[in-house]
Amino acid sequence: MEERQIIEYDALVIGAGIAGGEAAINLANTGYKVLLVEKDHSLGGKMILLSKVFPTLDCAACITTPKVSEIARHNNITVFTESEVTHIAKKGDNDFVAQIMKKPRYVRVEDCTACQLCEKACPVSVRDEYQFGLIGRKAAFIPFSIANPKAAVIDIENCTLCGACEKACPTHCIDFTMETEYYELHAKTVILATGFNLFDPLEIPRFGYGQYKNVITSMQMEREIAPTRPYNTILRPGDGKVPDRIAYVLCTGSRDNTIGNPICSQICCMYSMKQAQLLMGALPMADITIYYINIRSFGKGFEEFYQQAKGMGVNFVKGKIGKITEKENGNLILRYEDIAEGVVKEAEHDMVVLSVGVKSNPSAGKIFDGNSLKLDPLQFVAQQDFLGSPAKTSIDGVFVAGTASGPMDIPDSILSAGSASSEAISYLTRYQSL
Amino acid sequence: MEIEIGKTTKYLRDKQGVPDSAKEKLKEFNQIKKAIVEALKEHEMTIPQLAEKLQMSKPDVAYHLLTLVKYGVVAIGEIDDMDEYFSYKLVK
Repeated sequence: MEERQIIEYDALVIGAGIAGGEAAINLANTGYKVLLVEKDHSLGGKMILLSKVFPTLDCAACITTPKVSEIARHNNITVFTESEVTHIAKKGDNDFVAQIMKKPRYVRVEDCTACQLCEKACPVSVRDEYQFGLIGRKAAFIPFSIANPKAAVIDIENCTLCGACEKACPTHCIDFTMETEYYELHAKTVILATGFNLFDPLEIPRFGYGQYKNVITSMQMEREIAPTRPYNTILRPGDGKVPDRIAYVLCTGSRDNTIGNPICSQICCMYSMKQAQLLMGALPMADITIYYINIRSFGKGFEEFYQQAKGMGVNFVKGKIGKITEKENGNLILRYEDIAEGVVKEAEHDMVVLSVGVKSNPSAGKIFDGNSLKLDPLQFVAQQDFLGSPAKTSIDGVFVAGTASGPMDIPDSILSAGSASSEAISYLTRYQSL
Repeated sequence: MEIEIGKTTKYLRDKQGVPDSAKEKLKEFNQIKKAIVEALKEHEMTIPQLAEKLQMSKPDVAYHLLTLVKYGVVAIGEIDDMDEYFSYKLVK
């Protein structure tokens, strides 16, 4: 059996996206010692990879990077990246025991200067997951330019162990002797901020994703329009053409019982309108068409944002897409039901963006003793008192933040994290004063 | 046995070896990189032109060529008269 190091913190926060990060900061600012566990190589979750946010069109990185920097430097927060909480047992009030597995990064973060010489020396090239497969990356790589910690990582599955990175490293921070570390954490409260999974459009073969390379997901387009984009401008991944006519297919994998996800993503209308407006800035001559079932502009400033998109010339078509096919030149034919006219039509576009929905990340349900953490029918963390105390879960002392409990946008995720951290502080205080 | 800092690759190579899939991917990338570099030695080309010359699919050429742009091997040239396709050239 592996050796476990015993560690102790006031609070365990699982997931270092915007919700987990916010909850950790709130707890840490109140004086509690927090362990923030993240499975990925960087803090920031999905938000740090976005271009801008709706409806203000503020730069996403400009909001996220100061926050992740504050998290990383906070005296009361310890961050474990490349780590997973494998099991949590509640022993009593204010008494949780968690098992944590920390995978090796093969780079000593404290010594890495992010000089990228290892990246230059590495001969391997594989698809870059942080650019959603649009471009390659090396096996020795910095995850992305605003990653935190900004340090190299070795992708050991694709590494040929040639030693070039180690030879090139001026600080000798690459260390292939690093091994998986195991911890036993004693904590008084737990916050689950495990986020969501994006819908995988391979589940809808009639849209041609994976088969037709000019059908991309909204996250791939998000990368194409971000300042840290993979290409010099917006290009079709199928042949490098600058697209003229771009279509968005809203509700891809949302509000669709046939793929088992009947709920609204709450974000795909608005992020598509955001991307459409940004595309009109990047490609002033392009025609952007958004195919929708209903526009749900329910939040503060959302309806004005919708009107702004229309005013800029974005074409909105109330239509449900039946099938997408590809022409020889890489253009795509969308066959759709024009809901307003009640007829089936076809339209040709250079590129199609699937506005993918939000699915649950049910991993949190598996880590608690005896399935004591209840999930809702769609596998999101169930909220025991949805209206009165939305952060409470089925386990007293375990709270949920952000999209782990259901689809929501960034401001709502941050509000939810505030609620979870307040509930956690209240729980900690309740038992401290006894 | 103490392992010297800066020389730890051999330790892991001896311990677990190198996955065949990693070797295959490296071989494939090197072949494609070599073919693209050779083709661009003659003159600048767009992705469709390069795909035709190399008898490769356009998406594969696009992916590898744009990756070589990122790695600093290939540079972006001018866009064509129709404002559709950029040409690509070797970095001198």
